[in-house]
Amino acid sequence: MALFITKRLLMALATVLVVAVLAFLLVHAMPGSPGAVSLGAGASQDAIDEVNRRLGWNDPLLVQFFRWLGDAVQGNLGVSLIDGRSVSADLANRLPVTASLAAGATVLSALLGILLGVTAAVRGGFLDQAIGGFVGLLVALPAFWIGIIFVYLFAVQSSVFPATGYVPFEASPRDWAMSLALPVITLAVGGAAFIARQTRASMLEALQQEHIRTLRATATPTWKILYIHALRYASLPIVAGIALQFIGLFGGSVIAEQLFAMPGLGQAVQNSVSTHDAPSVQGVVVIATVVVVAVNLVLELATKFLDPKLRAS
Amino acid sequence: MIPSVAPAPHQRKNALARFSAHRLFASPGGVAGVIWLAALVAASLTAQWWLPYKTEDQDFTAVLSGPTAAHWLGTDELGRDLLSRIFAAAAGTLGTSLITVIVGVGLGTVLAMLAAAAGERVEAVISRVTEIMMSLPGTVIILAVIGAAGTNIPLIMAILGILISAGIYRVILGQAKSLQSQLYVDAAKVDGVSTLGISLRHVLPGLTNTIVVQSALIFAVGMLIQAGLAFIGFGPPIPQPSWGGMIQGASQHVYDAPWLMVPTGAVLALTVLAANAIGNALGKAPNTTASHLPSAAARRQRARAVAAVGAATTPSANPVADSDAAPANGQLSVRGLSVGVDGGPRLVTDVSFDVEQGTVLGLVGESGCGKTMTALSLLGLLPSGVAATGGQILWNGKNLAAATDREMEAIRGRDIALISQEPMRALDPMFTVGYQLTSAIRRLRKMGKADARKEARTLLEKVGIVDAERILKTYPHQISGGMAQRVAIALALSGRPRLLVADEPTTALDVTVQAEILSLLRSLVKDTGMSVVMVTHDLGVVADICDNVAVMYAGQVVESGRTANILDNPRHPYTLALLAADPHANSAADMPDRLATISGQVPQPKDWPTGCRFAARCQFAGSACAAPVPLLASGSEEGLVRCVKADELAVEGLEWLATEVPTHRVLKIVERDLA
Ligand code: SF4
Repeated sequence: MALFITKRLLMALATVLVVAVLAFLLVHAMPGSPGAVSLGAGASQDAIDEVNRRLGWNDPLLVQFFRWLGDAVQGNLGVSLIDGRSVSADLANRLPVTASLAAGATVLSALLGILLGVTAAVRGGFLDQAIGGFVGLLVALPAFWIGIIFVYLFAVQSSVFPATGYVPFEASPRDWAMSLALPVITLAVGGAAFIARQTRASMLEALQQEHIRTLRATATPTWKILYIHALRYASLPIVAGIALQFIGLFGGSVIAEQLFAMPGLGQAVQNSVSTHDAPSVQGVVVIATVVVVAVNLVLELATKFLDPKLRAS
Repeated sequence: MIPSVAPAPHQRKNALARFSAHRLFASPGGVAGVIWLAALVAASLTAQWWLPYKTEDQDFTAVLSGPTAAHWLGTDELGRDLLSRIFAAAAGTLGTSLITVIVGVGLGTVLAMLAAAAGERVEAVISRVTEIMMSLPGTVIILAVIGAAGTNIPLIMAILGILISAGIYRVILGQAKSLQSQLYVDAAKVDGVSTLGISLRHVLPGLTNTIVVQSALIFAVGMLIQAGLAFIGFGPPIPQPSWGGMIQGASQHVYDAPWLMVPTGAVLALTVLAANAIGNALGKAPNTTASHLPSAAARRQRARAVAAVGAATTPSANPVADSDAAPANGQLSVRGLSVGVDGGPRLVTDVSFDVEQGTVLGLVGESGCGKTMTALSLLGLLPSGVAATGGQILWNGKNLAAATDREMEAIRGRDIALISQEPMRALDPMFTVGYQLTSAIRRLRKMGKADARKEARTLLEKVGIVDAERILKTYPHQISGGMAQRVAIALALSGRPRLLVADEPTTALDVTVQAEILSLLRSLVKDTGMSVVMVTHDLGVVADICDNVAVMYAGQVVESGRTANILDNPRHPYTLALLAADPHANSAADMPDRLATISGQVPQPKDWPTGCRFAARCQFAGSACAAPVPLLASGSEEGLVRCVKADELAVEGLEWLATEVPTHRVLKIVERDLA
C-alpha cells in the first residue's frame, strides 16, 4: 500500500511537470512578445524591447523555464501582462469559485446518477427503458444549452435563483448557495447521465455474479442483496467513473462560468487566452492540473481502499 | 488434442460486418440515427442549391421572428434566416468533428495494437503515458492551445483527438490483446508473418466493431465540445455561422426571444443523439438475462408464470396438499417436472425422482443434459428467463414449482440449501467470511450477534477448518479453493437445512481435496440426517457417496435406481456408455485397456427428436427407437429405464464397444459442466 501511494505520488508529480513544460512551450508560441502584449498597440519598438529585456524574454528557453519553475515552486506565478496583478493572488481568489462549482456538480451528479442507474438496473422493464431514454437525451444536450434553459425557467420566468454572478461564502452562505445552484445543476446534468449509465452497467454486472445466487440461497432479503451486496460490488467502477467525471466537470466549468458570469478559473483562462496574457494562461493551466491530479489521486486511493484484494496487499 | 481451427480471417470479417450491419438496422434508434445523419450531411452539402437565403442575408422586417412562412425556423437578432444558417454550419461542424474521430480513434487504436503486439514493456510505457493524458484538465489545455495557435478549428479538433485517444486506448487494449493471443495469430506467427502483418490482417479486423462504436461516440463528443468552444467565443470567425455561436447569440435574447434557443439546440441535440444511437446500437448492451437476481419487472412476470404452473398442475382446489398420505418430514418428490426458457425450448421434460430423508441422490450425465437446471429448480433459483413450466416439486407435500418467491424465501437456507461448483465465485468477494456466515446465521436462526459469531466458529470447525477464528477474518480471495468450499458448505449448513443441493461441488477442486470434501459431505449426511441431491458428471463420485442415481440425458431421466444396481447392472445404453468411458468408475483391477468414447454430442434442446433422444449416438439404435420411449420398470428392484431394447440388452449381456482411443490418452470425455 505504501509503495502504491509513493508510486502514485510520483506519477502525479510527473504529470504536473509534463503539463508545466507543455504550458510553457504553448505560451511561448503565443503571438506577440510580452512587451507588445502589455504595452498594447501603438507602443514604440524601443519600449517593447525594454519590457521584454526586463522580463528576460530573450534569455534561452531553458533558463526561462527554470526561472519560472523556481518561482512557481515558491508560489509565485508571475504577474499579469495586462493589469500587472499577481497571477497567484488572482488565481487564489478564483480557485474557490471553480472548486465549489466542480465539487458541487460532482456530488450532485453522483447522487442523481447512482439513484437513476440503480433504479434502472433494479426495477427493469418499462422504468429501465424510460430512464435509459431520459439519460440518453441528457447526454446529447449540451450543458450550455441546458444552462440557458435553466436561466430562462428559474431566473427569467420565476426569479427563484439569481441568473448570474457569484457571492463568496464568507459574504453570505445562503446567497453563496443560491448563486451556485443554477451553474451546479447545469454542470451536473451531463455528469449525472454519465454516472447513471456507469452505475446501471456495474449493477447489472454485479447481479450476474454467482455469489448473488448464494445470497438468495441463504434467504437474504432482496433489498439487502441489492443495496448492500450488489451495490458494494458495483461501487468500484462507480467511484472510478466519478473520478473521471470530476476531471470533465472541472474543465466544463469554463462554460458554466461564462454563462453565469462566475469569476472562476475558467473565466480567467478564457480572458487571458483572448488577451494573450501569457503568465496568466500558464498559471491557470498548471493550477488546474494540480487540482485535478490531486483530486484524482484521492479518489483513486478511495477506489483501492474499497477493494479488499488491493487493501490487503 | 487438435486445436479447433479458427475461421479464415476474411470469413470472420464478413461475418462481423454482416453481424454489425444486422444489429445496427435491427435497432430503431440506430436506423433513425443513420437516417438523420445521412439527411443532415446531404442537406448540408447541397445547401447552396436549396437554402432559401444566404447565411448573411438580413431581413430587417423580421428580426427575432418566430417561425413564419418566409422563415421556417425564424430569424436571429439581425434578421438572418435560422434554417439557412443551421444547415450552412452543419458541414463544417460535422467535418471538423470527424477530425477528432480520426485522430482520437486512429491514434488510440494504433497505440493499443502496438502495446498488444510489442509485449509488456512497451505496454507499460504506453499505459503510463495514457494514464497521464487521462488525468489532464483537457478543456483548459485546449484553451491554452487556442491561445497559442488562435481559433484554428481543425488543429483544435486534432489536439482534442490526441487527448481523447488515451481513453480509446484503454477501451481497445484488452480486446486487442486477446485477439493477438488467439490461436490463429499464433499460427500466423509460425508461418512467418511479420508483427505488422499480424496486426493489420488478424487483429484489426477483429476490432472493427469496437472502433465503429467508439467513432460514433467520439463524433458526438467532438460536436459537443466544438459547440461549447464556439459558445464561449472560440468558434469560427464572426460572420461565419456555427451551432455553438448561434446558441451563444440566442442566449443574449433569452429574455425577449426565447424561441431562438430551440432550432439550433434541437438540431445539435438530434445530431449528437443520432451518433450516440448508432454507437449504442452497435455496442454491446449489458446482458440482463444472466442476472442471478432478476429485476423487479422480471420477477413480476415470473410470478404470473408461477401462478399459471400452479393452476395447471393442481386440479384440486387446494394447491398445496398432496393427494397421497402426508409424506415424511424431509421428503422430496419430483413429479413430471418440466423446465423451459420463456417462449423458447424446454430444457428439462417430465423428470421424476424421490429423495428420502438422509439419503443421497446423484443426478448424472454430460453437460447440457439438464442436471443443473433440475437442481436449481428445487430452490427456485433458475436463471432469469428460465422457469419451471410444469409438474410438481413436492417438499413435505408442498409444491415448490408453484410457490411464490416469498414462499421460496422461507424454504431457502432453512429447508433446502445450495453449494455450487466454484466456491470462490460463490462467496461474496467484498465481505469477510465471518460477516457472510454470521449474517446468514442471524437471519436463518434468529440469533443475536455474539451467539451467531460463536455458532459460525462452531460451523467452521464442523466442516473441518482448524483455525476457524482466523478464517472468519479473511476475505474469500485469501483462502484456497478447498477451504472456500468448506466455508461454502458451512454457509449452506447455517440454516440447518434438511436437503442440500450440491451442484458439482468437487469438480473445480484438486483430486486430493475432492476426496476430503466428499468424505466431509458423507459424514455430514450421517450426523445431521439431511438428504443430498448431488449433481455430477463423475461416476466415481456417484459410487462414493450416492444411495440412488438418476441418469439424465437431454433433459430426461433415462435410468434410475439404487446406485449399486445401476453401476453393476446398467440397463440403459447411455449408462453403459458413461461407465465404459469413465476411468474412475472402473476399479483398478478390471480397468480395460481401452476406454470407450461416446461419439457425438448431447443434442441441443431444439434438436431433440420425438423418439429416443440418445438414438443418434446409440450403438444399439434400431427402427423401434424412433417412437417416443416411456420410462418403465427395469426389473431390478425399483429401477426404471427408458429404452426399448433394455430387456434385450440385459438378456444378451451386450457391452458398449470400446473405440480406438487407448486408455492413457483418454481425455475426459465427460466434459466438465461449466454451465
Ligand atoms: S431406445 Fe434405442 S436408441 Fe434409445 S437407448 Fe435404447 S436402443 Fe438406444
